[in-house]
Amino acid sequence: MLSALQNPRQAAAQLLNFGLILSTAFMMWKGLSVISDSPSPIVVVLSGSMEPAFQRGDLLFLWNRNLMEETKVGEIVVYNVKGKDIPIVHRLVRKFGLGEEAKLLTKGDNNLADDTELYARGQDYIERKDIIGSVIAYIPFVGYVTILLSEHPWLKTVMLGLMGLVVVMQRE
Amino acid sequence: MHSTIVRGQNVFGFFTTVCFVVAALIAASDLLAPRTPKATVAVKDLQVVRGRPHYYSTKKEEYAIIRFSLSADLSSLFSWNTKQVFVYVSASWPNSTLGDAGKGEMVNEAVIWDTIITNPSADHLQNIGPAAMKKLVRSTKGKTIDPSRGKLELKNQKAKYQITSPDGKLAETDNMVLKLHYNVQPWVGVLTWTPQIEFGSWKKVKGGISKAFKLPAIKAKKVVEKKSA
Repeated sequence: MLSALQNPRQAAAQLLNFGLILSTAFMMWKGLSVISDSPSPIVVVLSGSMEPAFQRGDLLFLWNRNLMEETKVGEIVVYNVKGKDIPIVHRLVRKFGLGEEAKLLTKGDNNLADDTELYARGQDYIERKDIIGSVIAYIPFVGYVTILLSEHPWLKTVMLGLMGLVVVMQRE
Repeated sequence: MHSTIVRGQNVFGFFTTVCFVVAALIAASDLLAPRTPKATVAVKDLQVVRGRPHYYSTKKEEYAIIRFSLSADLSSLFSWNTKQVFVYVSASWPNSTLGDAGKGEMVNEAVIWDTIITNPSADHLQNIGPAAMKKLVRSTKGKTIDPSRGKLELKNQKAKYQITSPDGKLAETDNMVLKLHYNVQPWVGVLTWTPQIEFGSWKKVKGGISKAFKLPAIKAKKVVEKKSA
């Protein structure tokens, strides 16, 4: 940091570079969001309820457009429940009706019972608008870093420290 | 600029690039493996009974109890990138309340039976007891791919899930059909479902749909009690 004070031009360039990396990542994320029409086009699996298909830490790519056909039974969807902030990845097992008003029921492959218990009070079915995307592609394990970071907050401090160290060391 | 950190960064960058390229190649190799599944589904026994969704409920609903037979050959779905195949049989039926507007269109669909067939490479991930696991692992004798697991032969199989409709009415529903579907879960890459159109060497399921049938009227209460007793 001392060297940065001595050479403000270099410091500014580095700051800009860092900003560029951040904004590129953000643009790519939002671009994917627009293409897939999903608020969260990539999700990390947090529970074992879809085992053996998905383990904790696996990365899923979502698609939320109905170009050729409607969302149908058998698809693995990610949905939100009112009053719960963590989206759930489960398989669609029942569908009654068509279009926006269709009543949908989900179930985890590894669960014995369907998801009626997970829904809000008095809610028996979810609707198309509760779904933020259907799983179309899969990469194993890559997302496990985010689980580690959220479960062990001290890792964040360690990572920030390491990154700071790298920045200071690079001035040599 | 040739510090240890820069070198470390370069090595890590190259490592991730190689990983992603290899993963992409593996995922693309799926397209080379032909898929020629075939199946026959037939209804064996139909019953409609009245029951409650759970013990404390006062609501009475009509449940269809379906027995079916299934003979399927899905062995072509198993390749080196197959983690599991999720096989499910669904019942679909048109809406009675829509009248002529929704006629012929299968607007309702419900899964009545499903199973997970893992490739031997994914056996250790199954949620089954130790004895069943031992048997499963032993059945393939160290092979990593076992297409013979894709051959299903079910006779007079009872449905796993008893289906009803949101309004609780299901008796005498006409034009119901059973369909076989599958979902191939890869180790890496794109998930695929029963195709609606043929795509390269991936063919549609030959057969896999039952004849249309009509659910019977509700069984007399005495008979139901005798059956459950």
